[in-house]
Amino acid sequence: MHINRYERAWLTAVAVTLGVFAAAMLVGLLAFGIRLPSPVARVDPNNLANTPFAKPGLKSLGGARYELYATAKMWQFDAGREAGPLGVPPQIRIPARSEVTFYVTSLDVNHGFYIEDHSINLEVVPGQIARATVTFMQPGEYKIICNHYCGAGHQVMYGTVIVE
Amino acid sequence: MQATLEKAGNAPAIAFPKLALVKDERALVGAHMITAFSALAIGALLGPFQAFHRAPGFVEAFPDAAIPVFSYYYQALTAHGTLNALFFTFIFISGFSYFMTGRSLQRKLWSLPLAWVGFVSMLLGLLAMLYVLLTDPQRSAVLYTFYPPLIAPPLFYIGLVLLVLGCWITAANVIVTANLWRKEHKGEALPLAVFAAVANHWMFIVSSVGVAVEVVALLLPASLGLITRTDPQLSRVLFWFFGHPLVYYWLVPAYISIYTLLPNQTGVKLFSDPLARVAFLMLMIFALPTGVHHLFADPGVSEVNKAIHTFFTLLVAIPSFMTAFNIGATLEAAGRARGGRGLFGWMATLQWNDPVVAAQLIGLILFMMGGFSGLIQASAQLNITVHNTSWVPGHFHQTVGGIVALTYIGIAYWLVPMIRGRALFSKKMALAQVYTWGLGMMLFGHTMAESGLNGVPRRSLTGISPFLNEAAKFWLNGAAVAGVILLISVILLLINLGATLIGAPRPVTDAPTIDTRAPERVPAILNRWGVWVGILVALTLIAWLPVIAEALSVTEGFQILRWLPSGVPVP
Repeated sequence: MHINRYERAWLTAVAVTLGVFAAAMLVGLLAFGIRLPSPVARVDPNNLANTPFAKPGLKSLGGARYELYATAKMWQFDAGREAGPLGVPPQIRIPARSEVTFYVTSLDVNHGFYIEDHSINLEVVPGQIARATVTFMQPGEYKIICNHYCGAGHQVMYGTVIVE
Repeated sequence: MQATLEKAGNAPAIAFPKLALVKDERALVGAHMITAFSALAIGALLGPFQAFHRAPGFVEAFPDAAIPVFSYYYQALTAHGTLNALFFTFIFISGFSYFMTGRSLQRKLWSLPLAWVGFVSMLLGLLAMLYVLLTDPQRSAVLYTFYPPLIAPPLFYIGLVLLVLGCWITAANVIVTANLWRKEHKGEALPLAVFAAVANHWMFIVSSVGVAVEVVALLLPASLGLITRTDPQLSRVLFWFFGHPLVYYWLVPAYISIYTLLPNQTGVKLFSDPLARVAFLMLMIFALPTGVHHLFADPGVSEVNKAIHTFFTLLVAIPSFMTAFNIGATLEAAGRARGGRGLFGWMATLQWNDPVVAAQLIGLILFMMGGFSGLIQASAQLNITVHNTSWVPGHFHQTVGGIVALTYIGIAYWLVPMIRGRALFSKKMALAQVYTWGLGMMLFGHTMAESGLNGVPRRSLTGISPFLNEAAKFWLNGAAVAGVILLISVILLLINLGATLIGAPRPVTDAPTIDTRAPERVPAILNRWGVWVGILVALTLIAWLPVIAEALSVTEGFQILRWLPSGVPVP
């Protein structure tokens, strides 16, 4: 098949560009450690009594490392003892420069778990545990936003991370 | 060789074939066009109102304003998605495929009665969907991706089943017709338009198996109360088995216009026919093993599978870059033939004042913008910053709402007059519609992308959200301005098509020429459909079996129907 020489040059440039894209993703993974969610475990959303999700909240792992178990339901996050009464979005207080591993699951339908200005954006699928690790460097208030449609109250489902 | 090439190049291209074909075609294609654009009328008119209600500025200024007819925001959103992205596109694709197949091959369809069965199926599907959306707005608001555990009333799924059934009939009809033609024309390659249509319908048949299994085995039985358990992760996997090929199913008919009609409309030959075929085959075989890039944020799909699909996603970008060159070179020849000079001067001399040509050119500009935002989304790690934010609808309004919808509209501007036998009501109005659409979608895509980067979620009534920052509010208000421009565009479109149908005064004079031959230099391997469909199926199995096995958690024993929340939740 005849291929025009300019087109050949163009296709070479395209191949190089896509190669650079692939390399950038590898660098992101290997050098910066940016990971995508991967299966953790399954849970039965109707029966979370014997799982860490029975008592959501922040737990210190020592040093600047924490883990946080949170649940999502129509239309509220529960992130533990600092969650307010029904309808008041939870606030999570975290010391600056701490590394937090989030474990999130849903009690009813699909939800999203997104935190402003940080690399965490999870699909919260009932029956699955979503996990991501984030380091909070800058003090400030960051919204946790449900960004997966979950019914009539979806637009008011949020929480706040307060980095102190 | 040179002589035969020239002969093939000058093969008679016709506008109006035998009368029998014309009569059958008028009714069949006309029925599809009117139904498709009726679906678009409702779906597209709702869009701007959603943009208004997402904007805090609008809600503050007009706290009592309501969306007409579909007054519940998520009901309107579901109608916008299903009617535009599924019913309008699928019914249009069927009608356009029938038209191009008949005209290019100069041949009757394999089965005209079956084509009508398919049409009636899709029409009934549309009516079922409208009925359920209007009568049960709360429960049917599951959006056009219908992820469980949200479960809609049975009629919602029955409407979708009837729609896909119609598409399967179209696919079978086009593929069998093309095969019959090839038996009658030994040694000849299919004309490019039919070649692309065959590739597209094969891809649809294979990919729709995923969504068919999801709807028929998981969702419809749950909706009917026959089963009380489901697996949301498995559903998402089955949906996106279909979901990415779906975007090429939309795109390829627009490419058929741009590759095979636009050169004739601008007075030149396509730069490279064989490379166009390679591009269509690549879109077909790489469409399926890429779907997991929609599931990058999902907890139930492993990083290894995400990496494999990322690799194929980079490959499936190649046919789009090939198209950029092939169409760019074709248009450059057209512009220079019309007197364009210099590095960019040829762009200025293209027919920007012809609504049919302008629709495709502006569609291509939008596609460049949407293509780049798409590559960003598909880059596994960058996806984290934009996943499920307004960035995503910003992207697909420039792709499916941009090149796809605008090219379909451009096609309607000559096809509807041809079917009706009357010239387009107003060329000027068509031109104004095309430019407002282009401007509106550019602004909408940009404002949605910016708001997404500021944390605004997609598919959300953000006009009353308590968590927006100032930048997010600003860009959402900007998207509402884009909504005003697009509302004007939709109204211009509907008036023009409506007036043409009622009966514009002048008889129809122009229609694009349609190639009825392929150049004889098409490499033989490109005509071996068995090989290409075989590769498509093999790549699909390699890429998807591990993902499905994970979703089924094979290692823990098959548990397909895991659970449903106590009492099916009402959305």
